Amino acid sequence: MTEGALAKFRQWTQIVRHYGGLKNTLLAVYRYDDLKTGAFIGADKYGNSYYQNKRYFIGRSRWVQYADRVGLDYDASQVPPEWHRWLQYITDDPPTTTPIKRHPWMIDHIENKTGTRQSYMPYSTVRPKIQSWQPPAPSTTTSQSTGAMKS
Amino acid sequence: MLSSFTNLSRVGVPRLIITRSIFFRDKKSDSLPPEPFKSSVPPHIEKQQQKALDEYKANEDPSLKCYVNISDPIPSLDMYQTTKRGLQVLLWTDMLKGVMIALGWLLREPTTINYPFEKGPLSPRFRGEHALRRYTSGEERCIACKLCEVICPAQAITIEAEERADGSRRTTRYDIDMTKCIYCGFCQEACPVDAIVEGPNFEYSTETREELLYNKEKLLQNGDKWEAEIAANIQADYLYR
Repeated sequence: MTEGALAKFRQWTQIVRHYGGLKNTLLAVYRYDDLKTGAFIGADKYGNSYYQNKRYFIGRSRWVQYADRVGLDYDASQVPPEWHRWLQYITDDPPTTTPIKRHPWMIDHIENKTGTRQSYMPYSTVRPKIQSWQPPAPSTTTSQSTGAMKS
Repeated sequence: MLSSFTNLSRVGVPRLIITRSIFFRDKKSDSLPPEPFKSSVPPHIEKQQQKALDEYKANEDPSLKCYVNISDPIPSLDMYQTTKRGLQVLLWTDMLKGVMIALGWLLREPTTINYPFEKGPLSPRFRGEHALRRYTSGEERCIACKLCEVICPAQAITIEAEERADGSRRTTRYDIDMTKCIYCGFCQEACPVDAIVEGPNFEYSTETREELLYNKEKLLQNGDKWEAEIAANIQADYLYR
């Protein structure tokens, strides 16, 4: 049975069971604006967890639940590149099954820091080619100018 | 021939209309009469219309035979019809119908994506935020050949180069004005060492304009951050390059 009121009711009970109780379900609506059940695919080290349910169409079939520590300050840029690739449907293999090769010089994921104190501000990476003129000390100036006058 | 004399004029003068059937005998039209038009009007309305038409034809003024009334039939005054119209006015049944349509759509599966929890599909070739890549050893790839700077149609790239202490040619300045960039991808096409790439990230919107004036440090940091995905995307797409 895939249609009808009974099926809808079954879906709702599934959703409430998925989120663990009615209170948590209401909290989930508050935080995620949507109620969906799906298979837990994996979690990254920043605390985000990833789910999939192929019953939904592409674009809705994979989703992320942002880490609890960010609260309502979740942002799309908090998804690290490994999971970003899976979440945006570039690949079908999540990094749990096909881990992406890491090099020691790679850095941890940084979210978009705009609007905070850690935001990037541009600076020049080269020494300025034009130095401002440093006026010599006044005593030497007078002696030089008098010397020039004499000659 | 007779079929080509068609009375279409209002005043009743027959006109000769030259059609194919004057010269050729159309087999289909001879054998089968054209299918009568089936109206989609519900039967009880059709009955009313027919009744009104019959009534009209019975009382027709012979001097007005040149037109047929096709406007809506005069509303019936029987009990059922008058009650229905009264309910529409008094109880706003149309509005209730509208509410039911809204309710139906509310319970249906949405066709929109709940961003940022869900995201749309992206190509491995997607041209997003720029990044400067490194070799697996950690050495930066860019050799300051300035091909990207030359090809950039928006002239968004500025490069300055110097000899490094170990004698290799490297950039000292690699600035991209992201507000000038048109994301054409010419820079990554021009690059002989795959140093400058347009990564898969598009979520780098900023609050101020100057945050979009990227320098070399920022671009290298982007590369270190996104290398895992950039490398995998290039790997996924290598057959088409």
